[in-house]
Amino acid sequence: MRLPSSSLRSRGLLAGLALPVVVAFALTGCTATPSSSSGASETPSTADTGTHLVEHARGETEVPNDVQRVVVLEPVQLDTTVALGVIPVGAAVLNEAAGVPAYLGDAAAGIATVGTVPEPSIEKIAALKPDLILGTESRHSALYDQLSSIAPTVFMATQTDPWTDNVALVARALGDEAGADKLLAAYDDRCAEIAETYDTAGMTAQFVRPRDGILTLYGPTSFAGSTLECAGLTIPERDWEESISVDISPERVLEAQADLVLVSATDVTDETLVPDSIRTNAASFPGLTVVDQSFWITGVGPLGGMTVLDDIDRILAGSK
Amino acid sequence: MATIPVPAVRAGRGAARAAWFGAALVALITAVTLSVIVGANPLHPGAVLDTMFGGGTAESRFVVWDQRIPRTAAGMAVGAALGVAGALIQAFTRNPLADPGILGVNAGAAFFVAVGITFFGVTSPLGYVWLACAGALLLTVAVYAIGSAGGQAAGPVRLTVTGVAIGAVFAGLTTGLTLTHPDAFDRMRGWSAGSLLERGFDVVLPVLPLVLVGLALALWAAPGLNSIALGPDVARSQGVNVRRIQLVVLLAVTLLAGSATAVAGPLVFVGLVVPHVVRWTLGTDQRRIVLGSMVLGPVLVLASDVLGRVAVLPSEMPVGVVTAFLGAPVLIALVRRRSATAL
Repeated sequence: MRLPSSSLRSRGLLAGLALPVVVAFALTGCTATPSSSSGASETPSTADTGTHLVEHARGETEVPNDVQRVVVLEPVQLDTTVALGVIPVGAAVLNEAAGVPAYLGDAAAGIATVGTVPEPSIEKIAALKPDLILGTESRHSALYDQLSSIAPTVFMATQTDPWTDNVALVARALGDEAGADKLLAAYDDRCAEIAETYDTAGMTAQFVRPRDGILTLYGPTSFAGSTLECAGLTIPERDWEESISVDISPERVLEAQADLVLVSATDVTDETLVPDSIRTNAASFPGLTVVDQSFWITGVGPLGGMTVLDDIDRILAGSK
Repeated sequence: MATIPVPAVRAGRGAARAAWFGAALVALITAVTLSVIVGANPLHPGAVLDTMFGGGTAESRFVVWDQRIPRTAAGMAVGAALGVAGALIQAFTRNPLADPGILGVNAGAAFFVAVGITFFGVTSPLGYVWLACAGALLLTVAVYAIGSAGGQAAGPVRLTVTGVAIGAVFAGLTTGLTLTHPDAFDRMRGWSAGSLLERGFDVVLPVLPLVLVGLALALWAAPGLNSIALGPDVARSQGVNVRRIQLVVLLAVTLLAGSATAVAGPLVFVGLVVPHVVRWTLGTDQRRIVLGSMVLGPVLVLASDVLGRVAVLPSEMPVGVVTAFLGAPVLIALVRRRSATAL
C-alpha cells in the first residue's frame, strides 16, 4: 500500500497524507493478510514476488519488493515508513504508556507496539509475522540474529547519524528512494519558505532539554538543531564535543541565550516544567517558548521534521 | 579539604577531643567556603565575595544566591541528617554495615516518588520532598509494625531483617514501575543518583524542622544508647527505659533519613562511612559519635558536591555519585589502619 506522493508539498503534506493513508489502511485491513497458513517467516502472497538487495549496517539482505508487514524499532524508521505510506504493523516506542506518537496522525494510531525502543519484544514482533524488520545496530545489535530468523532484517548504524541518511536507508529497504527524495525535497522547500517569510538569516536559536536541573543544549547535528538551521536560524557557537548535544550546569544557564530559546517539555501548558534556572533569569530569555518534546526530540523523520517546521512557523509568527 | 585527626595521646583525652572538634569545624568551614566559591561557572572568588556583600552582576547574583547558597544549605542539612541517622542505626542494630536505608527508608521514599512521577505527573524537587517524606515514614512504620507482630517487641535483628525484606519488595515495585514508564525512568534516574541541583530554599526549609527534631532526639537518646551497648539487662539496671530509647532512635532515624532522602534522593554512602570515621577517631561514646557525625556528614556531602560541580565541566556530576568515590577510599584507609570496628 504505497502512496502516490507526487502532489504532496510543503504545508499540505500532512493533510495530503492522512486521507489516502487512512483509506489505504482501511482497505488492507479488510482484504489483506489471508492468514498465512503456516510458518512465521513466510511472506504473504503478493503480486511482486521479487526481492532487492539492501546494503546496511549488518551486511546485505534480500528484501521483498512489495513489503506489506513492516516492524520498526526506531522512531526515525516509524516516521519514515508512515511518511512513505507503508504503515508498519508494529513499532517499538519510547513510552509504552503513550504509544505511537500522536503527531503521526490517525493512520499511525492503530500500529501495534512491540515493546520499547531500547528493549523491543521478540515475541510480539514474531507474533505480527512481519516481512521486514527495521532496527538499529547501536541499540539492537544483540537481537539481530533472532530478528533475522523472523524476517529479513535491515539495520541502520546509529540513531546519532544525520537523520536524512537514515531516512534514505529506510527508503532503500522499502524500495522507494524516489518517495524519500520527494519527502526530503518538500522538507527543504518548507525550510526555505520559513527562512524567507521571517527573514531568519542572522537570528540565533537554541533548543534546550531540561533534565534534573542539568540543561541539555542541542547542537547543529541533532534533529531539532538541524531543523532549526534548515529554517535559516543559527545555533550559537560552542564546543559541541563532537556530539549532538552538550549538558551544562544550571550555573551556566546564560550560555543558552539566543534570539529564540525553545525549551522542551512533555506538556507545553505546564509552566513548572521550565527549569528554575531559566525562570529565575527570565529577563535574559525574552524569546522563550515551551515546545512539545514528542516531536521536537523524538519526531525524527520527514513527518516529524515537517511538524517541527510548522511549530517554528507558528512561533516565529507569534514573535513578529 | 577535610583532614581527619586521630587522637594519639591517651593522657590528654579531653584536649585531643577538643582538638578533634576544632579540626572538624575547620574542615566544615572550609567545605562551606569552597561550596560557595567553587562551581561550574568559573566566577572569580573576588566576584563571589563582592556578590555576597550586595554587589555583583545579575549573573553572579544568580549563581551565588540562587544556586550555591541554597545548595550549600541543603548539603549541610542532608549531610548532618544522614551522618547522625547512620550513627544511630549502627548503634541500634549493632551492625557496622547498617546504613539508614536498612529500615526501608530509601525504598519507601523512592517508591512514593516513582508513583508520584508515574501516575500523578509530579515533576519538581518540591513535589518529590513530600512524597519521599511520606514514603519513608510509612514504610518505617510498616516495618516496625510487621517486625513487632506476634506480641514480641521489635528487636534490632527482627527489624533489620524485616526492613531489608520490605525494602527489597518496594525496590522491585519501583524498578517495575520505572521500566514500564520510560519518562518516569528518566526522572527517577536523576533522583536516585542523589543530587543537590535545584534544591532551593523552597525545598530545604519545609523539611528543616524535621531534621532539627531528629537531631534533638538523637542527642537525647545518645546516653541511653551507651547503656544499651552494655546489654539490655545492664541498661535496665541503670534505670534506662530500653523500649523507649529504641522507639525514639527509630523515630529519629526515620525523620533524619526520610528528610535527607526527600531533599537529595538516596545518598547511600554518607550514613555508612561518616559514623565509622568518627568512631575510629573519637571512640565509642554515642554522644560524641552523634555530635561528630553531625559535623563530618556535611563535610563529606559538601566536599563531594564541590567535586561533582567541576568534575565534568560544563555539566555537573550528581553528588550521590561522588560521595561513594570520596567516601569509599576513606573507609578503606581507615579499615587498613585500625584492626576492629568498635561498636
